[in-house]
Amino acid sequence: MSERPAILAENLIKRYPVFRGFRDLLRRPFDRRTVTALDGLDLRVERGSVFCLLGPNGAGKTTLIKILATLVLPDGGRASVDGHDVARDPGPVKSAVGYAVNDERSFYWRLTGRQNLEFFGALYGLRGRARDLRIAEVLRLSGIEAAADLRFNAYSTGMRQMLAFARALLADAAILLVDEPTRSLDPQAADRIRAFLREELAGNQKKTILWATHDLGEAADHADSIAVISRGRIRLHGTAASLAGGGRPSLRRAYEQAVGESEEKA
Amino acid sequence: MSGAARPRASGAAIFAAFMRRDFREALTYKFSFVSSITGILLSSATFYFVAKLVPPGTPSLGPFGGDYFSFAVIGVAFASLLGMFQEGLPAVVRSAQLSGTLEALLVSPASISTILFGSSLYPLVFQLFRTALQLGVALAFFGLTLGRINGPGVLCVGALTVLCFLSVGVLSASFILVYKTGNPFSWILGTVSGLLGGVVFPVSLLPPWIRWVSSLLPVTYALDGMRKSLLASSDFAEVLPDVIALAAFDAVLLPLSLVAFRLAVRKAKKDGTLSHY
Repeated sequence: MSERPAILAENLIKRYPVFRGFRDLLRRPFDRRTVTALDGLDLRVERGSVFCLLGPNGAGKTTLIKILATLVLPDGGRASVDGHDVARDPGPVKSAVGYAVNDERSFYWRLTGRQNLEFFGALYGLRGRARDLRIAEVLRLSGIEAAADLRFNAYSTGMRQMLAFARALLADAAILLVDEPTRSLDPQAADRIRAFLREELAGNQKKTILWATHDLGEAADHADSIAVISRGRIRLHGTAASLAGGGRPSLRRAYEQAVGESEEKA
Repeated sequence: MSGAARPRASGAAIFAAFMRRDFREALTYKFSFVSSITGILLSSATFYFVAKLVPPGTPSLGPFGGDYFSFAVIGVAFASLLGMFQEGLPAVVRSAQLSGTLEALLVSPASISTILFGSSLYPLVFQLFRTALQLGVALAFFGLTLGRINGPGVLCVGALTVLCFLSVGVLSASFILVYKTGNPFSWILGTVSGLLGGVVFPVSLLPPWIRWVSSLLPVTYALDGMRKSLLASSDFAEVLPDVIALAAFDAVLLPLSLVAFRLAVRKAKKDGTLSHY
């Protein structure tokens, strides 16, 4: 535990402004209403671990991941990735993380998978033969070599997710931020993704993975540590063995209790 | 390689990657290039015939060589180019917001300004090519009459104009980052410039009560200086007022746009709307 953690968040706060209509803006022009996404969140993710962040929709999972990816600025507290403050020192943070979101819109649909990777590779400083070798490697790891020269718009949903992983691996970042990777996938494709994350990325590549999900089974079967987030705070945290030692039913009970208590307090 | 120092992408390599990406995408739209080039030919032909209605030596065209076709072609060709400098940046930001690629670009180690300029490079280069082609077609087939070209005038007016319109582009992109649509700079400078900036008719034809608005538009000085330098065999002293006016616009707009951009990125990150559309 003394080693510098891969990810550290302390008393992290994020409030978003509430969208207001013209009438409301005219009536109360200086009124600033906000909705709280993160409410003093504390988190520590150890190096080389698979850390599952479990929570219901709107719990704050995506906000936390976006703060760690430097896409959103926190309003209070601090967060660091690989020892670099995400708000004050975003450059090294971007180099330290691979960001794999389940958003097929983040690719260029009329380019092939390989052409997409060539473009994003250039943004990560890859050039020439080194870039080509790295692309071949991440395509092999992701198991989509055969589809590399097909246009992205011909990819299945599962292949698109695997290409998102291939892109996140381009810079060989030690820390991966993964947001609901199995959303919208059929059970077999979802199993392939889970096995890829656990066995290839965590097992063979020794990556630290922060894995946001609302799938209890996914967390119980694949995480080293699990945290339950609800209403912007970590409500429960422990090793997978301690929280899911009794199998999925025991994790479900703990999860429902933690989320239920936070709802009651609210 | 994990955890080791990774190579840092150079700006030139990133710009080349953006150019390659956009060229590859453009190749997948087979008829877009053809229709774009056809549009240039039709526009030149239209002004060629309209020019037959305007007798040579019309007094208002005197300061620009006296030929309406040359006046209009230079105006339209350069206004389109300036429009791209002004609209290119906000257009690529908006396009990346709508397509969903902005977030993937912004999590890369490349700086936001490099990403923005890289994204707008291909449209700019393509518009430069269109402008050169339009002038070439006008010279070869429609009798565009150039005077003795004032090289220093063209260079000074051109460089200051590019800086000025890029600054407006950065201001527009800042607005789009925060408010997504309804860019007022585009409306004010785009629409109003078309009417009052002397693109297809001289500003001197405008009624005096509205002519003062022209003096507030950078495009007025850009086109005036460029026409005098290309059509009227003028010397540098004659375009100096345009150069001074454009330099004044740059002195205000350039720092303003850089500050606005920094604030816009911060606000969008603060509101969590950087990649929203």
